[in-house]
Amino acid sequence: MRLTLAWRWTELRMLLPLLLLVPLGFVVTHVAEAGVLEPGPLTLAFGYVALMLVAHAILVLSGHRGDQLLLPLVGTIGGAGLVILNRLAPDVEPTQAFGLQLDVAATQLAWFAVGLVAMLAVAIGLRDDGLLRHYKYTWAAVGIGLLVLTAFLGYEVNGARLWLDLGPIAIQPGEFIKIILVVFIAGYLADNRALLTGASLRIGPIRVPPLPYLLPMLALFGLVMLIAVRQNDLGQALLLFGIFLTMLFVATGRRSYVLIGLLLFVAGSFAAYKLFPHVAARVDIWIDPFADPTNKGFQPVRGLFALARGGLFGEGLGQGLPQSIPYVHTDFIFAAVAEELGLVGAFALLALFLAFVFRGLRIAMLARDEFSALLAVGLTASLALQTLIIVAGNLKLVPLTGITLPFVSYGGSSVLASFVMVGLLLNVSHRTARAVDREQGLKDR
Amino acid sequence: MSGDLLRVLLLGLQLGFVAVLYLILFGFARSLLRDLRSAEAQQLASRVGIGRLSVLESPDDEPPAGTTIALGPINSLGRNVNNTIYVEDDFASANHAMLTFRGRSWFIEDQGSTNGTYVNGHRIDRPVALSFGDELMIGRVRMRLER
Repeated sequence: MRLTLAWRWTELRMLLPLLLLVPLGFVVTHVAEAGVLEPGPLTLAFGYVALMLVAHAILVLSGHRGDQLLLPLVGTIGGAGLVILNRLAPDVEPTQAFGLQLDVAATQLAWFAVGLVAMLAVAIGLRDDGLLRHYKYTWAAVGIGLLVLTAFLGYEVNGARLWLDLGPIAIQPGEFIKIILVVFIAGYLADNRALLTGASLRIGPIRVPPLPYLLPMLALFGLVMLIAVRQNDLGQALLLFGIFLTMLFVATGRRSYVLIGLLLFVAGSFAAYKLFPHVAARVDIWIDPFADPTNKGFQPVRGLFALARGGLFGEGLGQGLPQSIPYVHTDFIFAAVAEELGLVGAFALLALFLAFVFRGLRIAMLARDEFSALLAVGLTASLALQTLIIVAGNLKLVPLTGITLPFVSYGGSSVLASFVMVGLLLNVSHRTARAVDREQGLKDR
Repeated sequence: MSGDLLRVLLLGLQLGFVAVLYLILFGFARSLLRDLRSAEAQQLASRVGIGRLSVLESPDDEPPAGTTIALGPINSLGRNVNNTIYVEDDFASANHAMLTFRGRSWFIEDQGSTNGTYVNGHRIDRPVALSFGDELMIGRVRMRLER
């Protein structure tokens, strides 16, 4: 095999500051907790940065021409997340797998390694979009299969049936269904876009998509509401529907489709609120968590206190009390960041996510074919909406739903799925860059 | 006394952590901005027109494989040299197909060719709306519609 090197200097330059950031975060935490001026154990911190640099090296060796800011952005977000997890590790129950007992930060690092391998496999391994595009119905079948498996064989944790037991490890299929949905919708819309934008039914003043396209939309909506109700997974339902509407709008440019979708969602949510007590309970807690601050409202109230303690500049790493929030390492990690790093730190984290979204949309804009563009839009929208929903939930702007903050929250399935999405984005931008190269080469000749 | 010193040092380290975070963020912002400027320039230079045909396969090399053809709103394809896109292939008809941009979509229509026009591997029998990324086959020449 011929090695085709492609130096990625921007990527390397943006990754190197992590060598300072992550260990420094570990040192601050250790000094604050131990009360003595010594660095403390830094294996995890350097291990994390080493992983990122190895991933960079493999991209260089494979001659990858994909976007150079994605990996450093994800690396910085994940690095900040690892610092927070390391700070929370003493207060969170360690995990046990394969006879080993690891704290949450170490487990997370292991998942980062798995995630990076998956990312590289997708980014380098996919030669063209055929595997994704032409087998879109197969992928849809796989997704529905996973959904059904989870609904009937999955087990519940905290009232939501999301987990599938696979021997030594358990996975959350919902995280992967998200990716499958994006692939399927991108394939479907790329093939039918011309017809979707063309004819339309007119009902009074509003234009409705023609029936063959309205039906899949309604079917998907039904499926989403089923997830919400059957699995009690409101966050996932909101996320999937948001992804679908975003992609539909991008593909057709029709505001009316989005409007109809939103109306459906509002009507569905209202019906769910009236019909199902667990949905109603969520909303009531959101409207007034202080009505029952020691029981039902305990988690959001603790979260709000943490945000208040953090203030503008934060309590300092290892000096706040984020461990007082239940599930702080998964659902409420943003509150932990805001408490220990303050508004300043939380803002930096959100800005990093914003930069990532910007980059994702840029990849979509430059893509040469419809499928790749829609794929990139869908993946970006998925990560963006996920961040938006969970951060807004932490801040009590929307009812809290149990989804993860990508790359930050503790959780294997979430980390793995997020990295696969980065891999797909890298793959799309790689193929775009290759196409541009070919044209340039022909022009020069 | 040493407790106070420790607290001051800790504060310094903490501020250092946030400062590094912001320096990294600043670096990203600069890269993004620079990229945005160059992308703007690139777009001005290259993005004129409504679409392009990228030639994937062409046994007789006319149009040459690997080239990209800029499209106008109405394009005729065929073996007759008076076509907008001249396809030199034994299996193409003189006036083979029309590729037109109407409203907001591309359409392809076969002009009664002997061997037919194929879209994504299916022979067409009426005008067909195309999306970017679709593959056309005229004779043995395979082309892809791109933005």
